[in-house]
Amino acid sequence: MGVFVFLPLVLPLTAWPVARLAEQHLHPRAATRLVTAVAGVMALCSTVCLGLLMVVGTAQLPGNPLPDGWSDPEVREAVPYDEVAGKAAIPALIAVAAVCGRTLGRHTRVRRRAHRALAGLPVTEVAVLPDAVPYVYALPGDGRSRDRIVVTTALLTGLRPAERRALFAHERAHLAARHHRFLLVARLAAGANPFLRPLATAVAYTTERWADEEAARVLGDRRGVARAVGRAALVARATPVPTLAGFATPGPVPRRVAALLGPAPVPARGWPPGFTAVGMAVWTAAAGTAVSAMSSANSAVTMVLILHAATPL
Amino acid sequence: MADHRRPRRRGQGELEVQVLSALREADGPATAGWVQERLGGDLAYTTVVTILTRLLAKGVVTRERAGRSFAWTPVSDQAGLAAHKMRRLLDGESDREAVLASFVTSLEPDDERLLRDLLEQAKDEGEV
Repeated sequence: MGVFVFLPLVLPLTAWPVARLAEQHLHPRAATRLVTAVAGVMALCSTVCLGLLMVVGTAQLPGNPLPDGWSDPEVREAVPYDEVAGKAAIPALIAVAAVCGRTLGRHTRVRRRAHRALAGLPVTEVAVLPDAVPYVYALPGDGRSRDRIVVTTALLTGLRPAERRALFAHERAHLAARHHRFLLVARLAAGANPFLRPLATAVAYTTERWADEEAARVLGDRRGVARAVGRAALVARATPVPTLAGFATPGPVPRRVAALLGPAPVPARGWPPGFTAVGMAVWTAAAGTAVSAMSSANSAVTMVLILHAATPL
Repeated sequence: MADHRRPRRRGQGELEVQVLSALREADGPATAGWVQERLGGDLAYTTVVTILTRLLAKGVVTRERAGRSFAWTPVSDQAGLAAHKMRRLLDGESDREAVLASFVTSLEPDDERLLRDLLEQAKDEGEV
């Protein structure tokens, strides 16, 4: 194992270029799937290695649950014997578990409570709420409730009929493609390894782009969807949601509108060509993911073998 | 501390919905006692008054003095109550965008200018 056990912790850095470039150069559907898959695999590998580090590093601490043979000099020779890393891995693992648990808990809680809030209304696809605050979102159903689109009267009155159709087509695309699952995986991955945060941001953007493009395809009107996105954003601007301010790049909404005003993205067949920036980025991320998976598998297998050999059974 | 004979604990929202729908079945303003009777009497009078007062604070019901007590009237309908509960849920979540993908996110001032330019451009090209 050696240095391999540390690799998956930093290999997410190889996915940064693709998180940056995929949203502009790949079809949003391909970009969402690619970035989510890379984030999920890398998060899993990073967490496995964190666990292995902890097992190795804490082997000589009193009270650890490993067999006594684990402290033999021969075994200590075979594993990277670093108590500092092992001790650091304990709080890191606890933090990962806490962050991911909170993310998961909040996701299910908000979904459940949102469905409960709508309980008194007729069970229609679109729930229109009389509210002076303009907002809309797609609420995925669970076992007992159906998929809903929740929209307020304030937003609807601010839009023309064609723009409303675009809005509903967009939300339906979110629901039909189960975008909440991609978002959840990406956020959990970002919780497991902070280096994966740019990937979660990228997935949040590409799912919106995916739904925009799907709405444009259904309505056959890219310009109309662009207008709907832009005007809805202007209607909703009175209610700022706390975000990280101060980015020099244009925010997500103008980028989405600009993308819709441009030509339609072409669904890619196979890999993008290797000698473009995005092609390089995709290959880098793919290589990083593969190395990450192999390193953690290698480390895990080594660990099991040593453990097996050291255990007098 | 806990009263074990009590049936499962009802959520605040559930009671509010019950009281409000009872109130809506009344012809005109109704008293808290009428609502309590309507709900089958397993709620204490003070509980009904508490819930009505809470609904009043939310602007979901109004009241007027009728003799020694108040007469209550529902203001908004079921949709209004749902809207209220949804707002409470969204406002309570510090990080709501993490949970519910929304159609649009907030705009920075620069974004707004850029967006208006883009929309202007979309309009011009659409009409040409």
